[in-house]
This record gives sequence, structure tokens and C-alpha cells, in this order.
Amino acid sequence: MTAKAHTAPALERGYARLGVLLIAPVIVVFSLVIVYPLLAAIYLSLFQIYTPTLQGSFVGVDNYMDLLTRRAFWSSLWVTLVWTFGTLSLQIVCGVGVALLLHQNLWFRSLARSLVLFPYFLSTVVAVLVWRWLFNDLYGALNHGLMQIGLIDMPVDWLGSMPNAMIGIILVGAWKYFPFVVIAVLARLQTIPEHLYEAAKIDGAGPIARFWDVTLPQLRSVLTVIILLRAIWDFKEFDLIYLLTGGGPVTSTQTLALLVYQEAFALNEMGRAAAYSVGMMLVMLVFMIVYVRHSGREG
Amino acid sequence: MKLLRTVAFNLFTWSLVLLIAFPLIWMVLTSLKPQTELFRIPPTWLPQSVTFEHYWRLLTETPFLIYFRNSVVLATATTLFVVTLGTVGAYSLVRFRYRGRETLALLVLFTYLLPSVVLIIPLYLAMVWLGLSNTLMSLVLAHTTFALPYALWLLRSFMEGVPEDLESAALVDGATRMGAFKDIILPQLLPGIISTALFTFILSWNEYLYALVLVNTDSVRPLTTGVMSMLISAFNIEWSLLMAASVMMSVPLIVVFAFLQSYLTRGFGAGGVKG
Repeated sequence: MTAKAHTAPALERGYARLGVLLIAPVIVVFSLVIVYPLLAAIYLSLFQIYTPTLQGSFVGVDNYMDLLTRRAFWSSLWVTLVWTFGTLSLQIVCGVGVALLLHQNLWFRSLARSLVLFPYFLSTVVAVLVWRWLFNDLYGALNHGLMQIGLIDMPVDWLGSMPNAMIGIILVGAWKYFPFVVIAVLARLQTIPEHLYEAAKIDGAGPIARFWDVTLPQLRSVLTVIILLRAIWDFKEFDLIYLLTGGGPVTSTQTLALLVYQEAFALNEMGRAAAYSVGMMLVMLVFMIVYVRHSGREG
Repeated sequence: MKLLRTVAFNLFTWSLVLLIAFPLIWMVLTSLKPQTELFRIPPTWLPQSVTFEHYWRLLTETPFLIYFRNSVVLATATTLFVVTLGTVGAYSLVRFRYRGRETLALLVLFTYLLPSVVLIIPLYLAMVWLGLSNTLMSLVLAHTTFALPYALWLLRSFMEGVPEDLESAALVDGATRMGAFKDIILPQLLPGIISTALFTFILSWNEYLYALVLVNTDSVRPLTTGVMSMLISAFNIEWSLLMAASVMMSVPLIVVFAFLQSYLTRGFGAGGVKG
């Protein structure tokens, strides 16, 4: 008995050591591919670096002065906010609506769910190719469809002019990402106890009143998480916008992620690009802290 | 009356579902149309003659198969690397007590939300310096930056769902921690591992930005940048060929959807939303 009492703390210590040993590979890889590049980005933002030769000189906070005084960063920030707000609200409205429909008794419900979920898992490249073909001004199905219904009488230039280009990316973004909202809301809908609805029915609440008074309050916590997560992901979206419009016409759909890429690999200003990326990260940090604190509270 | 309501509801919902799925249906239809039929005004909604020539040309006349092979190697390597590290790491984060554990979990969550464009400049410089640029290895390392936090976060939630008493019982019976991990935890965690592996594979399969910056020769290009380069390099955009490429590129996804969909929805519950 006494021997066992002696070994218990030793065992605990041994376990702790094993735990550290098991996490060590993760820490090493993390430091190499994430922590080091993150610190390097901040370090690089103090230099002026010409991308093709990678030669550079120390310029201190000049890049950050550029960021504050030039229009590029601020107009891109505005574009990013417009895009994030537009596509996110559409995702939430469509997502909740479709989730409510798919929650009902529907013929071939699982097939309908698969069809709705598919775009989320599709490669952005595929989504963009398909939509660029749909948006095609001469032979695109969208213009012809809209003309056949009679909504427009001339083919619309979808991606080459404003505000159509912004509407276009917001639309494709919503189509690609609203299934995320559908899955999350559907999962939550299934856990709402049936007796809440019955109680509301007895109190004489119609379907619309039941949605506002029972469903929506029950969805509140999951919607908060969805909105935070999707806001962060939409804010940093690169592929979809870059491939659809490339930031154009001119810079009207150039979000911050595109601006960083443009500075680094088209204008060859790697140091300034690093400064912009740090600026972008600082803006995102606000959302990230809110999300991390929120999920910490939930956990 | 009730029947009428049911029929109306089903018709309405299904037309909405088909509207959402229309771009995908259109992709398949376009890939089956002969090139000449594409440029009809007004367009034919259903193909008048069905042809597989675009698929044939894709496989024989373009580097599509090379891109496909690269994507398979890249996504498989990333998944194996990340899921192995992640499973062992998640075991440590959930079932062991040591200092810094909580901070580490928080750090994982932060990196999970980090934008790729912040890391891409230093990673590009590092790959050039290491002589790894234009290799699949550089892409595996780059994909680790988003796949590892993601897998770790998912696996951590799955690990929390594995009951602790079975492991304790095995330990009382004289098993070592690693023995219990192998015999008790791993079998119970398997569905979670499968679902994490699927998500990681899809993430890596679909990734575009790192492939754009780190790789620029056809022999190592994955599908995402490869297929896009077919669009850009073509003088005359061959939409039916591109749609055939899009369909082929989505094949692994269709397979996952047809046979393993429950694993995808499970992964959602664990990591995507609960946070």
C-alpha cells in the first residue's frame, strides 16, 4: 500500500512528461510553418524588398506610413467590408430559410440535402469556372434565362463593370458558402424539443409567430458562432474573388487579401505587402478575439 | 386539402433545390455538348447530341492526368502527415495535464482562423531559400499551415467524446498509456479520424493560393492551378473542355458524398460549428 502511495506522484509526473513528449512534434511543426512565418512577416514589413531579386533594405516603419497615408489599404478595407457584409447576410438568410425547408418532411429529403450541401465542398476553382461560364455575356445561361423570363432585355456584363462585379462575387460567395449555415442550423433544429412548439400551438401561435418566438431564440447561440466564423472566413477570402474578377474592374473588388497578393507578386513590393498583411491581421484580430472568447465561454 | 399543401410544399422546395443545384447540372450538361452547340443563341437547355469527346481530349491531349496525380499525391501526403500528428497531439491535449496546455489549445484556435496571405510571403521566401520551390514537398508543408490547426481542432472535439473510464480501467489492469491509446482510444476514435481525414483531404485538394505562388511548372502543378492555367493559356476558351475538367476534378468529392457523407456531417458537428 505505502509503495503505491509513493509512486502515485511519480506516475503523475511521468504522465505529464509523456504528454509533453506526444505534443512535441506538433509544437515543432507549428513553430516552423506558422509561428516562424508569422514573426517573419512582421520582420519583413520593416524592409523594402524587390520580389524578383529578393534584395532589400531596412526602411523602418515607412511601409506602415504608406499604409496609413495611401488610399490603397483603406479602399481595399472598405471593399472587404462591403463584400463580407453582403455575402454573409445573404448566406445567413438563405441558409436559415433552406434549413427550415429541409427540416420538414420532404420527398427524397436526403437527396435534396446532398444537392444543397455539395457546393460547399466543391473546389473554388470549379465553382468559379462554372459561374464564369454562367455569367458569360454572349453565351451564358444566366443572361438568357433572365431574358427569357423577361427580367432583363439586354445581356448584362456581369463581372466587367460595377456594381455588377460586386453583386456577382457576393452572389457566388453566398451560393458557395451558405450550405455551411444550412448544415449547422439543421443540426440545431433537430435538437429543439417538440413540446416547445406544442405549447406555442396551444397558446394559439401561428407558424410565423412560432418561428420568431420558439425557433429563432433557440437558434441564437449557434447563429452567433456561425456569423463570427463566417465573418472571419469571408473577410480573408482570396480564391473566389481573385478567380472571378481578379479584383477588377480596376480595383473595385480588390479585397485586402487580393491587395497583399498584388503588392507582393505583381507590383514586386514584398515589404509593403507584408505590412499590409499585418494590417489586415490586426483588423481580423478583433473578430478572432471575440470568437475565441465566445467559444471559451461555451466550452 | 392536406395533400394539396404537401404537394405544393414539395414542388416549391424541390424547385428551389434544383435552382441551387443548377450550376452543377449545367456543368455536367455543358461537358456533354459538342463545341458547336455551345455557341447557339438561344442556348439549348438540354444537349441535342451527347458526346464524350471532351473527356477523351482532356485525358489524352492535356496534362490533366499529371495534375490529377499531383493532387492525389499532395492531398494524400498532407492528410497522412497532419492526421498522424493531430491524433497524437489531440490525445496529449485532452488526456494529459501539464503546464501550457490551455494556451496551446488557444493558439491552435487562433492559427485556425489566420489568413493565408499573411504566411505566404515568408513561406515563399523560406521555400526559395531551402531550394524547395516548385516541389510538391513545399506544398505539403504549406498546406500543413491550415490543415494542422484544423485537424487538431476537430480531433480534439472527437477525443473529448471518447469516454474516459474505459482508458482508466485498462490502466488499472496494468496497461501502459500508449498501450491503452492503441487498444482502447484509437478504435473508438476511428470514425472521428476518418471524418477528419476526409475534411483535410478535401481542403488540400481544393487549395489554390499556395499552389499559385509556390509552384509554376506543369510537372508539379496540382489540379486547381493546372485547370485554371488551361483557361488562361487558351486563346479561344473551350468551355466544354473546362466543364469536363471541372466534373473530373469533382469526382473524388462525388465518391465521398455518395458513400461517406455521414462522416462529413459528423465532422461538422464536432469542429466546424461547436467551436
